[in-house]
Amino acid sequence: MAPTACFNCKEARAVIIRPKNRHKLCRACFIKIFETEVHETIIGTNLFFPGERVAIGASGGKDSTVLAAVLKTLNERYNYGLDLCLLSIDEGIRGYRDDSLETVKRNAVQYDMPLDILGYSELYGWTMDQVVEQVGKKGNCTYCGALDRGAARLGIKHVVTGHNADDVAETVMMNLLRGDLPRLSRGTSIVTSSDASDIKRSKPLKYAYEKEIVLYAHHRQLDYFTTECIYSPEAFRGSARTLIKDLEKIRPSSILDIVKSGEDMAALVPVEVRGAGKSKQSGAEEESAGGCGSQNGRTSGGEMAAMEKQLAENDEAESLETEIKLPNGSRVKANRGPTGKAVKAQTIKHCERCNYISSQRICKACTLLDGLNRNRPKTAIEVGISMEDEEGSSTLMRQMERAQLSAT
Amino acid sequence: MPAKELNKPCMECKDAEFELTVRKRQLCSFCFKRFVSHKVQSRLSVYRAFGLDGPKHQLLLPVSLGVSSSVLLHILNSDRQYRLGSGRPLGYDFKILVIEPSTIAATGVPFDQNYEALQKNFPMHTITRIPFHSIFDHVPEVEGILQEYAGSKFIDDSTRSNEERLAAFRASISTPTSRTDVDTVLLTRLIVEFAKKSGCESVMWGDSDSRLAAKALAGVAKGRGASLTWQVSDGMSPWGVRFEYPLRDLFKAELLQYESVCAELSDIVIPDQPPSENVLTKNLSIDELMLRYVQNQGAKYPGVMANVARTANKLNPSTSDGAPTCALCASLLGNVKGNSGVTVANQAEDNHSSQFCYGCMRSRPEELC
Repeated sequence: MAPTACFNCKEARAVIIRPKNRHKLCRACFIKIFETEVHETIIGTNLFFPGERVAIGASGGKDSTVLAAVLKTLNERYNYGLDLCLLSIDEGIRGYRDDSLETVKRNAVQYDMPLDILGYSELYGWTMDQVVEQVGKKGNCTYCGALDRGAARLGIKHVVTGHNADDVAETVMMNLLRGDLPRLSRGTSIVTSSDASDIKRSKPLKYAYEKEIVLYAHHRQLDYFTTECIYSPEAFRGSARTLIKDLEKIRPSSILDIVKSGEDMAALVPVEVRGAGKSKQSGAEEESAGGCGSQNGRTSGGEMAAMEKQLAENDEAESLETEIKLPNGSRVKANRGPTGKAVKAQTIKHCERCNYISSQRICKACTLLDGLNRNRPKTAIEVGISMEDEEGSSTLMRQMERAQLSAT
Repeated sequence: MPAKELNKPCMECKDAEFELTVRKRQLCSFCFKRFVSHKVQSRLSVYRAFGLDGPKHQLLLPVSLGVSSSVLLHILNSDRQYRLGSGRPLGYDFKILVIEPSTIAATGVPFDQNYEALQKNFPMHTITRIPFHSIFDHVPEVEGILQEYAGSKFIDDSTRSNEERLAAFRASISTPTSRTDVDTVLLTRLIVEFAKKSGCESVMWGDSDSRLAAKALAGVAKGRGASLTWQVSDGMSPWGVRFEYPLRDLFKAELLQYESVCAELSDIVIPDQPPSENVLTKNLSIDELMLRYVQNQGAKYPGVMANVARTANKLNPSTSDGAPTCALCASLLGNVKGNSGVTVANQAEDNHSSQFCYGCMRSRPEELC
């Protein structure tokens, strides 16, 4: 078959079929178009201001590596005047972070950007592995929260993350499946910050397909680290992800179409359920709760079953309710929002401990820490009592408890 | 046999053997029907007048001769008979519209007998039957819109029959997703136009909860998230006719159960085609994929799936009054007010006139996907 000419320049030989719309492009045009689209996103949403200090949340994975490369290119090409630096969080996951951090270190040299690596142990006093050992693989995603805390330490007010269109589409579908209107109203915003937090977090790759990010990284021969996170995805996100992969096979544009739907629906969520109604784009806690992208927010996966149970119980309770009618046929209006549909409100407050935004009195991270610190021995662990032994003995205790319970 | 010695009495009336298990309760068919009917009636309470002289609302019930819409008709009819018999106010009355199924699906299922059974069983209602291609007569402006929409892929020849013209237009759309999408848009327009002409203020759609969940997910996947407020929620459609979904609290499985205890429905309902096993995902339409997804997941998590439609029903209708709308589907052009996303700007490469909305642009014949 004769080589196909590039759809864009009509000259060079097409070597790439664009996943987004199946256009056949040459290497140079693909790279140019990819960068231009990110530029349009940045300009269209007024993402930066000249002279702004911006920390790129770098994990060494493909998304953040491409983000760093593209931002550096665009900053120079269009004179954004940004002061870019790399910020990495060392979660302390054995065999996962060690190698990826090496990649970030090389990236810092390649892109000539300053790099700061902050450890979980520095930020929280715990490594991710220790967290997982204590609480299991459930609800342990605090990565984005850690980025905020890290940036705050460095005095930087804007963190950009490598969340891509696939991640955003997943979040939209997941929140729809979970029936989570407050998050549906926030999850698609390109900037997630609020009056409650000083740190502005944004995702310039929000409209970029994961597959195109991989292609971009490949064709620019970027140095990135390819290992998937070892923790399994939260069940709703997992289900949404499978669905989106199928949709992409049917209609490649559907990832972008879901993002578009998500943006529109976010604007249609009743004000009283949006959370902090006064700030137009609140929700910096979005990614830290319920998981974020391809690497975080992973759990053991019983969420769908748990929610099913909850809904079934609600349903049952409802069927047992008796409608009480007032005499004289007087009709009482139910406590409903202006639309006539009953809705629950969620308010965003500050965590009392760390001042990070949270819908609870104490934020999720601090609650997690509380739980962890309660279990931690007061004295340092001596040689001889290894973590395994401790784990083993607590398992045995649990088994005995269970045996007792079933005996009664 | 002694009259009151029941093996397993109905949990509700305790006066008859149970026949069906519904939401973990064992009911006799009478109590089951009452349960289903109650779910529907509570959705239509706004149309109930409080006195005999109250205004009588006129509604339109499109019947596809499938399970859901036929069951809805049966419920509404039973309620009507009961009210007439007991001298209670009706509050509303309804007309029935059947769009000939053979003109919609290419499979060409014969439906004449089913239609006759419908007429025979519901003689008190006005039933109208029209073919899909009569859209050219009922909605004359659609002619120009289709031509504009399909571009060079479709050359309309007004000397040909309506049937051939519609077939030619539909053939210009290449993917199953786009075809199903545009078909739905056109059917909705035809039904709305008929409702307006026959003086109906609302259309009662026979979508079950499962179907609404699939519609919500598919709508989102097709970039039509903003239209869920009338395509899935009860509310005012852009044409000034209200849309109601009275079956929204009932699962498809429950409607099938209802059908099984209504002998008169067996001649009317055209059974659903079983989903074929050997279809590659990429050859399905998005609507079909979502129906399957809701079916599969619904077997395990019925509540979660039901909650999808409920969530969509909580969205506020768009307040962009007077904003330009799509010539084809009447959805909003561009973004909903308050959405500052740039997905639309990203579509500059589409480079078409902007009289069609984002969702319709995706289903255009000239789209490459």
